[in-house]
Amino acid sequence: MNPSTLALLLIVVPVGSAALTACFLRKYHALATLLSVLVATFYLGGALDLALSGARFEHSFEWLKLANLTINLGFKFDDLAALMLSIVGIVGFCVHIFSLGYMKDDPAKARYFAGLSIFMASMTGIVFADNLFMMFIFWELVGFSSYVLINHWHEKDGPMNASKKAFITNRVGDFGFLIGILMCYWLRGTVNLSELTAQASAGTAVISTAIPLLLFCGAVGKSAQLPLQVWLPDAMEGPTPVSALIHAATMVAAGIYMLCRIEVLMVPDALTVISWVGALTALYAALCAIIQRDIKKVLAYSTLSQLGYMVTAFGLGSLTIHSETGAEILVKAGVGAAMFHLTTHAFFKALLFLGSGSVIHGCHHEQDIFKMGGLRGHMKVTFITFTLGVAAISGFPLLAGFFSKDAILYLAYENNKAIFALLAVTAALTAFYMIRMWIIVFFGKARSDHAAHAHEGGFVLQAPLALLAVLAVFGGYRSFYPHGFEGIFNLVAEAEGPAKLGMLVVSLIVLSLGAGLAFAVYRSVATLTQHDPLEAKFPKLFIFIISLKESFDSVYTYYIDKVQQRFAMLLNFFDLLGLGGFIRLGAGAVSILGFGVRALHVGKLNVYLYWFFFGVVFLWLYVAGIF
Amino acid sequence: MIQSSLLAYIGLSAILFAIGFIGVLLRRNAIVIFMSLELMLIASTLALVAFSKFNGTMDGDVFVFFILTVAAAEVAVGLAIVVALFRQKQTIQVSELDSLKH
Repeated sequence: MNPSTLALLLIVVPVGSAALTACFLRKYHALATLLSVLVATFYLGGALDLALSGARFEHSFEWLKLANLTINLGFKFDDLAALMLSIVGIVGFCVHIFSLGYMKDDPAKARYFAGLSIFMASMTGIVFADNLFMMFIFWELVGFSSYVLINHWHEKDGPMNASKKAFITNRVGDFGFLIGILMCYWLRGTVNLSELTAQASAGTAVISTAIPLLLFCGAVGKSAQLPLQVWLPDAMEGPTPVSALIHAATMVAAGIYMLCRIEVLMVPDALTVISWVGALTALYAALCAIIQRDIKKVLAYSTLSQLGYMVTAFGLGSLTIHSETGAEILVKAGVGAAMFHLTTHAFFKALLFLGSGSVIHGCHHEQDIFKMGGLRGHMKVTFITFTLGVAAISGFPLLAGFFSKDAILYLAYENNKAIFALLAVTAALTAFYMIRMWIIVFFGKARSDHAAHAHEGGFVLQAPLALLAVLAVFGGYRSFYPHGFEGIFNLVAEAEGPAKLGMLVVSLIVLSLGAGLAFAVYRSVATLTQHDPLEAKFPKLFIFIISLKESFDSVYTYYIDKVQQRFAMLLNFFDLLGLGGFIRLGAGAVSILGFGVRALHVGKLNVYLYWFFFGVVFLWLYVAGIF
Repeated sequence: MIQSSLLAYIGLSAILFAIGFIGVLLRRNAIVIFMSLELMLIASTLALVAFSKFNGTMDGDVFVFFILTVAAAEVAVGLAIVVALFRQKQTIQVSELDSLKH
């Protein structure tokens, strides 16, 4: 098949399946589920075929022409897109299979699977987009699909508020993104990615710091960076497989992907801002994660933290390396490291989320880790795969996260020592909170009835875990990836010589520090009660982190209640007075007139005859010229 | 034969028309109103015949034929409506036919 036709199909088929389900199959849950899983299978096959066949193309056609403004829809398929497409395919497929088991008894299964399909289609649109307008269209669709899926259990207040929060917070970022796109069009005359690259290499580009920063606003919203991170922990109200999809392959990954796409627009000042935002997010989220009791919230904050890593990596920008011939080459190490970490993170975070889904499913929807415990014996497959995921995200040597995190740390070490320190602390915290959760959930004795009767969820829940565990183990080796992604992986900078040893030592120290602390605090896991020993040992730290976590929400609440709401009331007053006043005056005049005219309507035939007579007389007088 | 003047014919026609018109305005019975309407129609045909005679042309007479034909059709339809009305409302007093208002 023609590659561009296949690419088009990858968008059209999931949209078609979602539309078909939404229009006709809402009551036919089994049929809708089957359709959606078939589409996900087709998608996986198509995505891998496109990525591995080596087909790289650009294909564009005109969609909308308004005077001088032409908006194209088009495909730009390079190694970056191929990598992202494969991730979406693999994670999407695993989530579909997992959902078969997890959502088995859900009364609105058809809507759920239609949501998954449209989510994948929207993300595919972002992956293929060859210009910023098209990216924005699908960007908004991703926001919509996440709204639908987070709000799946819409009869409850929690998911309803969380979905609104996610959508509105994203809109704030998207506003900046839109202004950035318009400004890019205004200053550069094009929003086509290839043309922008051509401009940059020809040296004819208009340099602007505002454009990349405004576009970064979009990524701040979608990838949940400070200060718009508030929606992501709340989004945990959605079904767990959806969280896996949002956190691994779609939605939050879209922000990082978009940054990598617009790399040519970057200027040093913007990159500095981006790297600091990322580093602060990473540290902030890691701090918040260490006190969470909800298994999904721990993972949510860990996603935030890892996204911060990726954004930092991107912001650290390029790196000069010495090639074997001794020449100095400038590589876009930021893009390489960010995408590398995005890839490995997609695998182990999808694994961890689906693993947590399996735990939640096994414990009858208990999400508090202090009410679990001792699950190691009841859920062997989940335990083994989850352990691999925890080891991978903590940066355990030879697993996926170790390599990608090292690439970022090395880049930070070479480019900015302060950020390097922040990231190292974050890495230690990551090891701490992941191992804390792992110990509390799987070791000790069961601390509730649900946990005592935990059970595995069957093949459809275990198979995706196994697949993702394999990827989380081997995803760090570049030779593991088939040909077709060199364009990205060649950009990943690796430490050489003494620096390599230094990086290894640093990451081992960081890992053992975090893990050791976790083992020390939770060593008495057998006698663990439903109270966190960390809180008992460091109450001040606990309170500090809680206030840190709450601070953003309370500032936003204050702003909305006290500033925005009052301003809105002021506007409403003027609206009532001015606009409403004039319009009500007009309406009043008309109704008084109507009242008078209504008196003429008496319902007596003779009276109408009199009126008729007077009318004729009047006309006669008028025609005769007496009036 | 007494040769009447045109004015006499027009006068008679005007009187007949006025009687019909006042009948339409004042009477409450639908059939009487209907008859008054017919009277107005006939008054105008009388005027047309008189004009025709005094002008020595056939124009007015031709007009009258048409008016008579149309009036016959109108009577058929009108009386049918009155009958239907009576069946529906058990009355043909127009003062009681006020369902448009109430």
